[in-house]
Amino acid sequence: MKYFRMAFVFVLAALAHWWWTTYLSFYGVAPHLLLVMTFVVAARQGPVPAMCCGFAWGLFLDVSSLHLAGSSSMALTIAGYLVGNIRRQVDVSSIAPQCVILVVGTWAYFLFTGLAGLVVLKHFLWPGWAVFLLAPFYNSVLGPVLFWAWDVGVES
Amino acid sequence: MKPHREDRTVNIILASLCSVSLLMMLLPLSRPIRAVRAFVGHVFEPMMFAGAEGTERLALVPSRARQLIVADIENRSLKDEFARVGLLRAELESLRAENARLSASLGLQLPEGRGAVWARVMERDPLTWYQSVAVDVGRAQGVGLNAAVLAQDEGQLVVIGRIAEVGERTSKVLLVTDEFSSVAAYLSSGTVEGLIQGQGSERLRMNYLHSEAVVVTGDEVRTSATSATFPPGILIGTVAKPYARDPFLTFQSVEIRPAVDPASVKEVMILK
Repeated sequence: MKYFRMAFVFVLAALAHWWWTTYLSFYGVAPHLLLVMTFVVAARQGPVPAMCCGFAWGLFLDVSSLHLAGSSSMALTIAGYLVGNIRRQVDVSSIAPQCVILVVGTWAYFLFTGLAGLVVLKHFLWPGWAVFLLAPFYNSVLGPVLFWAWDVGVES
Repeated sequence: MKPHREDRTVNIILASLCSVSLLMMLLPLSRPIRAVRAFVGHVFEPMMFAGAEGTERLALVPSRARQLIVADIENRSLKDEFARVGLLRAELESLRAENARLSASLGLQLPEGRGAVWARVMERDPLTWYQSVAVDVGRAQGVGLNAAVLAQDEGQLVVIGRIAEVGERTSKVLLVTDEFSSVAAYLSSGTVEGLIQGQGSERLRMNYLHSEAVVVTGDEVRTSATSATFPPGILIGTVAKPYARDPFLTFQSVEIRPAVDPASVKEVMILK
């Protein structure tokens, strides 16, 4: 049953991310739902499920984008690994640490994908100032909601 | 020992997934990577396709809901109108039938020297079905007590009853089928006279016929000139069957089938 729920959450998150970024983005700014979900899975389930989900969600993003296939999957895999290990040292059940992790993690994600582009394509993949500055806070607002939804919908 | 093994597993998975990602980044145009991308695209594209289609349908939901509500309102109003049309149609049929009856009655010849007023049967009590009906004319229209009440059947006048009670604008008709009703009448095959009496049912009884008279089934029975209420020669009905003779009685009786069933009459003519 747990695996069915996980599969459902996986598909639902991918669809929700695609739908939000396609139809609800405001001047190109939308929360990075899949990054936040990777953090949620890592915080609640540990690094292995988070890395697997992050990698698959990253593939979804890579297929959707024309630039640098593999960067998103690697970034989300590493994000799942790091947050899954951080949870041993940081209490990720309260809102404040969640928000901090999400803000820092989003910036790290942008920097990582940008640097990956710089290394492979010789071109820093810059998302733009609006996205770089606003998306982390957007994610930090969305994060606690998704943590709560996960606790209620998957782990209850 | 156990945590160490878990960490090693995590590290192996991390290294594997990162290696795949790195290969995809470094070898984007190689055949295996393109195959993997094509496969992943093949897996995810239906999601996006279905999502887009679902979104389009969701976008149509408000307009569809509006259309549905409008259709529901139209449906309700059409149902009301349909019911109203049904009533109008029934009324039209009734008026058409009434028109046909009244048109036929225009050709009727009134008894000499008598005026008439047409009336509509407005009440018929199931408890007194063969006894009385109420009509919508009264003293104001010149209707008097004991006035003859006739109906028309196939172009001729037929006895229905007499006025037994007169109001200002309504009257009550005592039908010939009532047990207290009697009419002097004769058989058309001869000049044998008798007295028609009601039986509280759809059939009448003609009494006091001469015991030697020959009665033929189907003979017409008409009002006699000796009737104080009805003009002579008005049709009452036909002989249905003779009753068995009673040896202790000096007359014979026959059953009469009324020319018009008083229970089905809708308009009547009242003679003044």
